[in-house]
Amino acid sequence: MRFLVALSHWLGQTHLGVFIRDSSYAFAAIEMLHLLALAIFGGSIILVDLRFLNLGFKTQTAPAVARELLPLTIGGVIAMAISGVLMYAGGPMRYFHNPAFQLKMVLFVIALAIHFPLQMVAARSLEVAPARQRLFQAAAVTSLLLWFAIGFSGRVIGYL
Amino acid sequence: MPALQHICEWIYTTHLSTSIRQSPYSFPAIETIHTLGIAAVVGTIAILDLRLLGLIMKKEPVSRIARQLLPWTWAGFAVMFVTGVLLWIAESQTSYSNWAFRTKMVLLLLVGINPLIFHLTIYREVNTWDLANVTPRRARFAAVSSLVLWASIIVFGRLIAYVNT
Repeated sequence: MRFLVALSHWLGQTHLGVFIRDSSYAFAAIEMLHLLALAIFGGSIILVDLRFLNLGFKTQTAPAVARELLPLTIGGVIAMAISGVLMYAGGPMRYFHNPAFQLKMVLFVIALAIHFPLQMVAARSLEVAPARQRLFQAAAVTSLLLWFAIGFSGRVIGYL
Repeated sequence: MPALQHICEWIYTTHLSTSIRQSPYSFPAIETIHTLGIAAVVGTIAILDLRLLGLIMKKEPVSRIARQLLPWTWAGFAVMFVTGVLLWIAESQTSYSNWAFRTKMVLLLLVGINPLIFHLTIYREVNTWDLANVTPRRARFAAVSSLVLWASIIVFGRLIAYVNT
């Protein structure tokens, strides 16, 4: 915890952090990039999870969908993380103590740990073994719920 | 257009409009669902656009991808439309004079015309280029227009709230 506080203070005092804090447009511009990345990331996450649940993209196998959309989900999450860190750098302590932000970060770590191993394991296989289908479906539902909750808590940050 | 302005002002005074405005939770909740609806619409459309540009799912026929994605695009669109109308009802009076809102409406019209032209022209002969890695130039042009228009819609949509304050 102390490390995170120190890191946040340092981030807020970097040139970039000060610039984002003082500029009238930087935050708005970064936030828009965050939303643009969300559109690509959110859409591809939904489709990967729906495929695991046999609810969409059925002409391709689940591993094929997981493989083909991996650049979009990974690229999307990287773009969202970078733009997210930049928004945070503009006023770290404002967010550090914000309960919605804290919740979002906890859920984000859990979602990363559930979704990406799932998608990457699937992407490497030829087909999902019948014995593991239930596991994949449970993980897909959890992943969907987590990403929705992250979206909601993200919006709440601005209202607290 | 004073008639349109009068309608917007009248909608602003309706019970639905004031109740969304007065509740501390309604507006942000509807707004979040609107954003997630956009992710479903734009995400699924972007996947088709990226296929048209030959960047992903190259082995899968274009028409099959389009057919599989469409129900989810429409589902997202329904969510986006209903929540979007509710947000507009709550802010109709201020939206009317908001330049970001006006721009967004024009862009939405254009983004609707784009697939209309696409389906009536080059997509009619999709069976001749269904499996092509690099699709015809007009299909790629439609894909780029779609990506640019949707990105602008997201940007102007977010700007609405910045212009209002």
